[in-house]
Amino acid sequence: MSMTTYDSFGARARRFSPRLVLSELMMKQWFEPVIPFFVMIALWIAFSVVIRDYSSSENILSLLRLFAEFGFVALAMAFCLITGGIDLSVGAIFAVGNFSALFFLLVMEWPAGLAILATLAIGGAVGAMNGLLIGYLKARPFLTTLVTLIILRATVNLLNTHYATSFATNSTDSNVWDFLGSGNLFGLPVNAATLLIVLLIGHVFLSRSRYGWHLTAIGASRKAARHAGIRVNFMLFATYVLSGVLCAAGGVFYAARQTSTDSTTGVGWEFQALTAVVLGGVSLAGGKGTVWRAMIGALIVFSLTNGLVRSGVPGYVTSAIIGVLLLAAVGIDVKWSKNRGKVIQKTYVNPAYFELSPPPSVKSGDASPYAQNDRLIHAEAIGLDQVEGPEDVILDRQDRVYGSTRDGNIIRFSGPDLDQCEIFAHIGGRPLGMQFDQDENLIVAVAGMGVYGVKPDKTVYKITDETNRTWYKLNDDSRLRMADDLDIAPDGKIYFSDCTTRYEMTTNTLDILEARPNGRLVCYDPATKTTSTVINHFYFPNGICISHDGKSVLIASTSLCKIFRYWLEGPRKGQTEVLIDQLPGNPDNINRASDGTYWLALVGIRTPTFDLAMRKPDFRRRMVKEVPIDEWLAPGMNHGCVLKFTEDGRTLESFWDPTGVSHSTLTSMREHKGYLYLGGLENNRIGRVKLTGVDESWSGYEAYWGAKRRDRS
Amino acid sequence: MSMFSAMLRTGAVLAGALALSAAAPALAQDAGTKTARELRSAYDAAVKGKTIAFLPIALGVPLQDEWGRVIKQEAEWRGMKYVVRDPNNNPSAMQQALTALVNDKPDVLIVQNPSVTLLMKELKRAESQGTHVIQINMSSNYKSDAFVGADWTEIGRMLAQDVVKQCGTGSGKSGKVQIVQGELTAAASIDQIGGVMEVLNKDSNIKVVSNQAANWDANTALNITATVIQQHPDLCASIGFWGIMESGAAQAIRNAGKIDQVKVYASVEGSSLDCDQINQGNFYKVLSYKATEQGHDAVMAAVTLLESSEKAGARNLEYYTQPIWVDKSNASGANCFALPKK
Repeated sequence: MSMTTYDSFGARARRFSPRLVLSELMMKQWFEPVIPFFVMIALWIAFSVVIRDYSSSENILSLLRLFAEFGFVALAMAFCLITGGIDLSVGAIFAVGNFSALFFLLVMEWPAGLAILATLAIGGAVGAMNGLLIGYLKARPFLTTLVTLIILRATVNLLNTHYATSFATNSTDSNVWDFLGSGNLFGLPVNAATLLIVLLIGHVFLSRSRYGWHLTAIGASRKAARHAGIRVNFMLFATYVLSGVLCAAGGVFYAARQTSTDSTTGVGWEFQALTAVVLGGVSLAGGKGTVWRAMIGALIVFSLTNGLVRSGVPGYVTSAIIGVLLLAAVGIDVKWSKNRGKVIQKTYVNPAYFELSPPPSVKSGDASPYAQNDRLIHAEAIGLDQVEGPEDVILDRQDRVYGSTRDGNIIRFSGPDLDQCEIFAHIGGRPLGMQFDQDENLIVAVAGMGVYGVKPDKTVYKITDETNRTWYKLNDDSRLRMADDLDIAPDGKIYFSDCTTRYEMTTNTLDILEARPNGRLVCYDPATKTTSTVINHFYFPNGICISHDGKSVLIASTSLCKIFRYWLEGPRKGQTEVLIDQLPGNPDNINRASDGTYWLALVGIRTPTFDLAMRKPDFRRRMVKEVPIDEWLAPGMNHGCVLKFTEDGRTLESFWDPTGVSHSTLTSMREHKGYLYLGGLENNRIGRVKLTGVDESWSGYEAYWGAKRRDRS
Repeated sequence: MSMFSAMLRTGAVLAGALALSAAAPALAQDAGTKTARELRSAYDAAVKGKTIAFLPIALGVPLQDEWGRVIKQEAEWRGMKYVVRDPNNNPSAMQQALTALVNDKPDVLIVQNPSVTLLMKELKRAESQGTHVIQINMSSNYKSDAFVGADWTEIGRMLAQDVVKQCGTGSGKSGKVQIVQGELTAAASIDQIGGVMEVLNKDSNIKVVSNQAANWDANTALNITATVIQQHPDLCASIGFWGIMESGAAQAIRNAGKIDQVKVYASVEGSSLDCDQINQGNFYKVLSYKATEQGHDAVMAAVTLLESSEKAGARNLEYYTQPIWVDKSNASGANCFALPKK
């Protein structure tokens, strides 16, 4: 795309804003554990420097083998935390798993496969005990699992008394067992490889499956989850069973690796696991967390313990450091979740510098075609006080008037005096630009929803609500944020503007204040039913109009105060050029006129202060941060202006309501059979004025699909 | 006694060595006899620059601190590199530390096993790649190059024999005995209880009313004993498998006002803490395995293994410590090593 006239490299460089990147990063779910992630990397680097051969592959593999069992336990803890609970018995279940595996294998002399299955089943059964109490009997997770911890711990100690020595003296010849203890899978220790597979499954489960979403929903708000029809009791039950099975799996690997049980097996692991997952960014309050965060935290705790012990640091110092870390993690967790929104809010708006072309004079009495007059003051009002901000107006073949209103409706006036008002369709969102297709379906751009159609029988249908995503953008821009205006090419393709990908209908003034190319021109092709972005990075594209010959699209840029032409065919196909460089105000919708020219609405009139402010990005940033929204600087919105320009960008005449009483913030106008109908974003009416010396049989539908077409001559 | 003479000898050798090295630059060719020079250089070749790694269950405890102090001092005098890791009672940290130490391939590894199984595989791996493993006081099921420490069966027997003397047939006492074990899967518990029961079972008057594990923890021992003393106010003796843990049991007995009636026994490392317990009347009699001497023996074992130039895993040397009784009559001086200063 070529927007070379103003989009130079320098302009692009000026536009780049680290703050903007940061604020968009902060909105990303995956960015939340960024601090723990870097702590993990930093620890790794630090220990690599301090400890010889720390980063050797041999050491990494041996660390992974030592880590994996703790990884399983931490994962179990993470699942419980995400549901808003906690499982303090993870370390004890792990010890039970370790004992059971050894018992089945060495005392019962079962084959390894059976011993493993039986151990996992025992883990599941213990988890089910927790799950029954917590899920169905509504016991408090903290106390319940604390009691389970004590009971299980005592049980393991009692059993140890009887069997520890027979474990020590018996051995097994099972190859499977030896493989679990010391084998490799895909070049990784078998326990670490299994953990990795479990993590991948856990990730898909938690982030992509319905049940994973249910878990998160229960953690975020148990009551809301129940109201949403989620089987809270069963899901909680299942989570603790899962936790038990995961811990038992850790126990199996530990048993295979160590063939050892004693009263210290897994002691304190519940707190290490808790430290780890909270450190990684799994919220103690529930409803927030991923398996990767749990692993990041687990790796931090593991490598801290490991690294500090190996650096010869006294043991009590190691314990103290981990304690302090937990404290810090909990503190940061609380602060972070409370203030993240605020930080985003404070950094999200990032105004950029730009310079507008000097404005032409609008002084009344001047020779300029923009000179103020009062041609709209006496406009006839249609549906006075019956409509709420008809952003766009259009007329059908039966001369009925349609308006797209703030309340999500398409309102229709009919009858000889246009005094019969009805709600033609309720779409929702904020309906904006409209156009009839060949089959007389009313196609509507709806801010917050996308592009919708209304059939003559009033049925509403979706046309599109997403386009292709820009691969390098942090903000997911696949969804249409604010479809603003549209027009339909002779081949049926719908071209529409999505005026901002960073803001919403309610905050779109911020996009203008930010003055960055956040918008785009999008095309829906009904033949292939696909939507694609035609021009990315456009400064607030607003009005869209297919030229009379159907060979180009006119695009109004509200923030740049310019009209562009984008060529659909011909020698300049695919290129963008400036059609009108100096407008006295902020352009809105563009529509065809009967004489082969175009109508353009100016939603606001430029002022010297506002133009100056566009060159002062820091000023605008401070204004947005420090001044209430009512007192923000804005273009002059209290004038209404419609103007007419030719195919080659020459402005012929203008129509003003200088009082702003009946038609301020004019956003749209349609010529229909000798009248010009007026719509305004904030108006309480649709207006119309009689035009003189025009083709009184001309209507929009005929100009696009009927006898008045100019693209077939 | 023997320890003293050993220290004196060490001192003399040290002084001699210093004198030698001071004179060496001028008289490099002629210092002392040729034999002495040859022997010393052979000795240095065997030990100097070798790495000796020490992995206790935890530091900050008199037993392990004293071992560490002696091993460090003696190893450094021999020009050996000393490495120590403190897993602070965390078994997984201990395994990790051991794995890392084994990967570093030190020449000698001195390890205290928290259980007979936990570290076995790694110790085997260490010897298979050429590191001499010395297990100190608490061994594993793996027979490594050397074991230094108490013969726990013997300790158990000796403790029990004295208990039988005090509470057994003909003593006129109830014969009720409490046993406080350490970690059940530790060698010190398994073998000590074997020795104790072997002797106690032979006397018909002795009734073991409680035989529980306090896992080396004084607080657990206190809780267990508080219950036992309530149920058996006529308890005759309490045997603890480690002094620091048994001090908890003694405290419970004292709290119950029975400290003069119940004979409290323990096997101990012989620190001043143990002597304090004796002198305060908490412990009746303890059997000391003298940590200072064990530390020295560990280095001796290391030197022997290095000088033998045999491959790791070739032999199973045993260096048992002679246990000595300590009670009010001798709980002072050399029988009570001072707590090592940090």
